[in-house]
Amino acid sequence: MAGKWDLRGDTPVSGNPKRTSLAQKENDEVGYTFCDGCNEVPFCGIKFYKKGNVVTRIESWPGFPAAPICSKAYATLQRLYHPKRLRFPMKRTNPKGAPDPGYERISWDEAYDMIVGHLNRIKEAYGPHAAFFYVGDPKEPRAAVQRLAAVYGSVNYGCESSTACRRGAQLAEMLTYGFPTMGDLPAEETRVMLIWGTNLAYSGSPFMCHGHFMDAKERGVKFIVVDPRNTPTAGTLAAIHLQPRPATTAALAAGMMHVIFKENLEDKEFCEKWIHGIDELKSYVSEFPPERVEKITWVPAKKIIDAARLYATHGPGGFKTGAQGTTHDLNATNNHRGILLLPAICGYIDVPGGILKPTEPLEEMAPWFDGPPKFSMRDKMTEMKGHRLDREVFPVWAEIFWEVQTNHLVEWIKEGKIKAFLGWGFNTMIWPQSHEYQQAIAGLEFSMAVDYFYRPWTHHYIDLVLPAAMCYERLAPFAFFKRQIFGRTPVKPLGECKEDWKIALDIGVRLGYKDLFFNGDVEAACNDILGMWGLSYEDLRKNQEQGITVPPKGPEKYRKYETGEMRPDGKPGFMTPSGKIEALSTRLEKHGYPALPEYKEPMATSKEYPLILISGSRIPYITHSKWREDSPWLLELQREPLLTINPEDAKKRGIYAGDDVILKTAWGQIRVKAKPTIMVPPGIVGIMHGWAKANVNELIPRQFDPISGFPPFKEVVCEVTKEVAK
Amino acid sequence: MARYGIVVDLNRCTGCMTCVVACKEENFTLPGVWWNRVFEVEGESLDRIIYFRYACMHCDNPPCVEACPEHAINKRPDGIVLIDHDKCQGHAECAKACPYGVIGINPDQKYFPGEKLPLEENLDPHRQHPPGKASMCTLCVHRIEEGREPACVAGCPSKAMIFGDLDELDSPVGEKLWASRQVLVSKGTNPKVSYIFPPNSFKYVEERSKKEGTS
Repeated sequence: MAGKWDLRGDTPVSGNPKRTSLAQKENDEVGYTFCDGCNEVPFCGIKFYKKGNVVTRIESWPGFPAAPICSKAYATLQRLYHPKRLRFPMKRTNPKGAPDPGYERISWDEAYDMIVGHLNRIKEAYGPHAAFFYVGDPKEPRAAVQRLAAVYGSVNYGCESSTACRRGAQLAEMLTYGFPTMGDLPAEETRVMLIWGTNLAYSGSPFMCHGHFMDAKERGVKFIVVDPRNTPTAGTLAAIHLQPRPATTAALAAGMMHVIFKENLEDKEFCEKWIHGIDELKSYVSEFPPERVEKITWVPAKKIIDAARLYATHGPGGFKTGAQGTTHDLNATNNHRGILLLPAICGYIDVPGGILKPTEPLEEMAPWFDGPPKFSMRDKMTEMKGHRLDREVFPVWAEIFWEVQTNHLVEWIKEGKIKAFLGWGFNTMIWPQSHEYQQAIAGLEFSMAVDYFYRPWTHHYIDLVLPAAMCYERLAPFAFFKRQIFGRTPVKPLGECKEDWKIALDIGVRLGYKDLFFNGDVEAACNDILGMWGLSYEDLRKNQEQGITVPPKGPEKYRKYETGEMRPDGKPGFMTPSGKIEALSTRLEKHGYPALPEYKEPMATSKEYPLILISGSRIPYITHSKWREDSPWLLELQREPLLTINPEDAKKRGIYAGDDVILKTAWGQIRVKAKPTIMVPPGIVGIMHGWAKANVNELIPRQFDPISGFPPFKEVVCEVTKEVAK
Repeated sequence: MARYGIVVDLNRCTGCMTCVVACKEENFTLPGVWWNRVFEVEGESLDRIIYFRYACMHCDNPPCVEACPEHAINKRPDGIVLIDHDKCQGHAECAKACPYGVIGINPDQKYFPGEKLPLEENLDPHRQHPPGKASMCTLCVHRIEEGREPACVAGCPSKAMIFGDLDELDSPVGEKLWASRQVLVSKGTNPKVSYIFPPNSFKYVEERSKKEGTS
């Protein structure tokens, strides 16, 4: 009601209001947490105001490295008090396969007894590796769940990154560079940026950073954006926008390298000295003149030439790749390796303004993505490597990552190798042909999930659902960015919710490992990690808003491959088997895969299926299957699954905005609403994944890139037809 | 006295909807009520989608003020146009008079019918929305009076919106003002929200605004 402030405005307000923090009101207390809205790990900073235990208002955490927050973060407030939140542990009372699982409230004691009883029994009967541990969305509990798996004695731990997300690109990075990188924000020195397969304006990475990129553009940085879609990232940034046919990445990269080598624009010294297989690469890309690449990729030859020239001659150049935009096809690893070699041949690796390996990451730490090695018991996991289920089917993967590639879960369950599944934030819709995973999981002897809401597409098939505390109610994990560490100040969880870490620690304690799981004390577990830098959570609270920076030993250094600072053994070079950036991958060669970033022709369109389907692209206010009913504020923005289709393709099919259409592939079909838009070029359609009522992953086959094991979410051919009303 | 307004740089707007949901979080508007929206426009002479934020223009000559039979709408000396809910009787004459179509009537609906959420106790006045009363963007006057920008402006990740006193020519907003253009100028309202347009985009944004006003 507009009564409380001055309707007449008689009290003049002087000066220009500033982008300042919320004014603190009487009786308001301040708190801090990190958003989990998009499944980054602990990420964008939220400052909140509370009355007693109730959060009432939120804003971006001032000065936090990952800020500002986005629509999803603002909606976490509505999600927090959603009446349908899970508040109590529940077990099913009807057998699996019954139409209604008959979930009933139980006590935490009963829930824990059930879990521990099954885990002990399964260990006795089949051995510990028959229990599979999994962390989906949010990623926050990874470290604690890895520790639980390790102490219990199972090497079989996997996560959504090791199913279909970041790890695919990371595999290519490890094979090629020997260190993980998705590129950085443009630095002061950067003059050209290559953005490939990611829509930064909507999916951040590392956060809602589009403003930084716009600033860089305004100070003269040139942007080359590669994306089949006409995204706002391309629209607002691109000097050159290349729109390749999906899954033809390696051919486009080869075409650009062809131009660079042919015109002698490469960094010859770097290529000779630091790239393994440079001659083989040159010889391979010589077969990809721009005219041929135009036929393969649909990108005009002239644009390929212009982009190659701009990138090679306007250095130093950075890049930004997505978590998974370029790895959802059957040639995922080598497609992504093609991209990685572009900055390498230009000599942009580990130079100011280029693609950096951090000089001094926080000692003994790895991103929460991986978990701190000691706390997550990496040594124990490595010792048990021989029992990994993915060793034979995805050997390169198993050599590089400690998380198991999960896409063969169906086979492993059928073969009796997995008997129990313990999932935090897990979601069956992540997998292609989701129903096969649902059925497989329903066949397990025991399965449980920790979540915020009851999600039928997953929880219908399991035994036990546990209620998780949300981001405002969690202490763990703390956040860190480079060497800066931040804590949070949770409110008490609603109902009987417990935070993810607490649940993992409690299970560990009840399995009989009281000390190893800190007697169930989450803060003590955090302190075990913080102690590595002589800190405790109490120190973080004392430095709440500004955090604590662990001072580096020296300044940022560059070209560390020359000085031996890239490798733990102190030898010059990169952390690859050859010690160089590997155009010719020695690891891929060893396992009999194509060792160059070879192009492989994607699935062919046909008269029956003339269009190419892209799924998995982000809508800014949805992540995966979350954020539909979780927050009505966001659901109101889009209530239905929308298929984007080029206006030309729509017209040919008599399709208009809002029409019901059938999207069909050789593997399945769904009914959705059409949205004709130039967001997609002719020949391509796009849809957001994670709609339970129209799960696009049912349209994707269980075929996988042989190296990464990734499914073809951005390659499958399809047809769209107007649904005729009956 | 200040004359508050916003310049929206459409070269920077990406349609990420942060401003829209930031407004929801700040003001707790009711279901179906959007004080602040983002539209997408496409057109033959555009090679990309244009996104633009659309809300009350806080006009210098606001037709809504004249149209209200209860004299419930007032333009303050600092230019902010506000509805007095104590006087408003929900005739919706303001909504009909507004050429931009940005005034609505509060529905008798809640996001969670029948539920009293913990955070709905003792709501701040700016978060209370009596059903049946006219409703539109307040330019977050409660924030301005505390010396802070409107929630949509403060929340924009692309920094596409610049807020301030349009008469202060050497301020950030004053510096951008010269490059901006108003929409539906022919209506004579002299809106205090204006836009910086990417090439060829003006006519499409103008058309879309006109459609809102007449729908």
